[in-house]
Amino acid sequence: MVPDVLAALKRQETLMAEIERVSSTGGFCWHPATGTMTCTDEVYRILELDATVPVTLQLMGTRIHPEDLALLDDMFEKASAQASEFEYQLRLRTDRVKYLLVSARRGEDPDDQALYIGAIQDVTRRRLSEDALGTLRCELARLARVSSLGALTASIAHEVNQPLAGIMINASTCLELLSSDPPDLDAARETALRTIRDTERACEVIARLRGLFGKRGGKTESVDLNGAAREVIALSLSELHRRQVTLRTELAADLPLITGDRVQLQQVILNLLLNAAEAMIPIEDRPRQLLIRTEFDAADQARLTVQDSGVGFEPQEAPRLFEAFYTTKSGGMGIGLSVSRSIIETHGGRLWAELNAGPGATFAFSVPTRGNTCDAPSRGGVPLADSEPLMRRA
Amino acid sequence: MADAVLVAIVDDDESMRQSLPDLVSKFGFRVRTFTSAEEFLASDCVGQTKCLILDFAMPGMSGPDLQRELSRRGQTIPIVFITGQPDQDLRRQLLAEGAVECLFKPFSAAALREALNTALGVN
Repeated sequence: MVPDVLAALKRQETLMAEIERVSSTGGFCWHPATGTMTCTDEVYRILELDATVPVTLQLMGTRIHPEDLALLDDMFEKASAQASEFEYQLRLRTDRVKYLLVSARRGEDPDDQALYIGAIQDVTRRRLSEDALGTLRCELARLARVSSLGALTASIAHEVNQPLAGIMINASTCLELLSSDPPDLDAARETALRTIRDTERACEVIARLRGLFGKRGGKTESVDLNGAAREVIALSLSELHRRQVTLRTELAADLPLITGDRVQLQQVILNLLLNAAEAMIPIEDRPRQLLIRTEFDAADQARLTVQDSGVGFEPQEAPRLFEAFYTTKSGGMGIGLSVSRSIIETHGGRLWAELNAGPGATFAFSVPTRGNTCDAPSRGGVPLADSEPLMRRA
Repeated sequence: MADAVLVAIVDDDESMRQSLPDLVSKFGFRVRTFTSAEEFLASDCVGQTKCLILDFAMPGMSGPDLQRELSRRGQTIPIVFITGQPDQDLRRQLLAEGAVECLFKPFSAAALREALNTALGVN
């Protein structure tokens, strides 16, 4: 009997070791009071430690990336405070990047002493592919931005040409005033001042463009949704005029700040605004009206609504509107709305569309304000990284 | 200047309304400015205006809308369009519909003077 039991145990052990190997997960049992730690072979392999040396928290410390050592101290404090469980993501101090997920739960040994039983998993592959996906999402968001830059070309030319015309006219008038006999110096001074003012205006347009379309990583900051919307409106105004769209804005005066990426949120606003303007092109028998409203809604979220009097959409189209590569426009790529929804979800919010009671459609998003818990944008400064899958296919 | 020829400027852009009058006055014309087509139509200047410097894109009534409205009322005021959209097709279309000139912003003082002279039949 005994040899059978031993053989069965041996088989069990081999199987467990194999499972640990396949899942890149090692097990440990840690006794905080004595500092002793019992580990399986996989832990030694993951930490790249000599299997003959007993593992201690101190020894583990020598293997952890210096920037993550504070996490190890934190883990020790948690254990001292008898936390029921903990979980940490750590980087190893090795030649290549290696990410670990350490999780443990409190138990008791036969002498009623606290001990922690846990697992150390090598999650490097998962982390690297998540990071790559985050980078890809950022690039896609930028691509969507650049494609809206194309849609705004005429509007931008108009915004820049307007102050340039002022500069040209003021400078010409200044020359005329200086060459009159006698020269009208007061009036000439006035035109010179106007030249400076128009130059500043041209610079502001360029600064707004750089802010909105320049290449940059995600950034988390306090955002005034009204201010962000006003800047987008300023850039798009002549595009709206060109399309004979009448814009009305109702921006809530007491809107609290939100936390997020200002440029990405502006990208969403721009996208909704351009879509609305486009939906109104075929309309000839009624006014092309656009309403942009911000409000603090019942759920304590900051909400931005874009309502148009355009062609609307078929009710059966609704579920597909936010899918990547779904488009009803001849020149559209179908990424604007899907990227927009992804950005809003990363901010812990929601983006939706509904048909108006009258003609047209309403697109709106709501995001938590700073007073609320907003655990959104994040990891490594790449806010898109934690969001829903971007490419949603039917 | 009371007997000088009246040139009206209709542009929603404030810096245009501030800069253009001084220049046009230096050319020897009397100037009135309006922020919109509607404001111009409601003024007492319509009958006296000898030339209209008209912005193309404006909120509400656009430049071409005003051009059509004036022609509907039988007012034949020569029009010099000014626009921030450098679009040649648009320019051809405006000229075909009777505009004297269509200047792309930014335009030179000389180009504006020439357009005004053409509009007023001055050589």
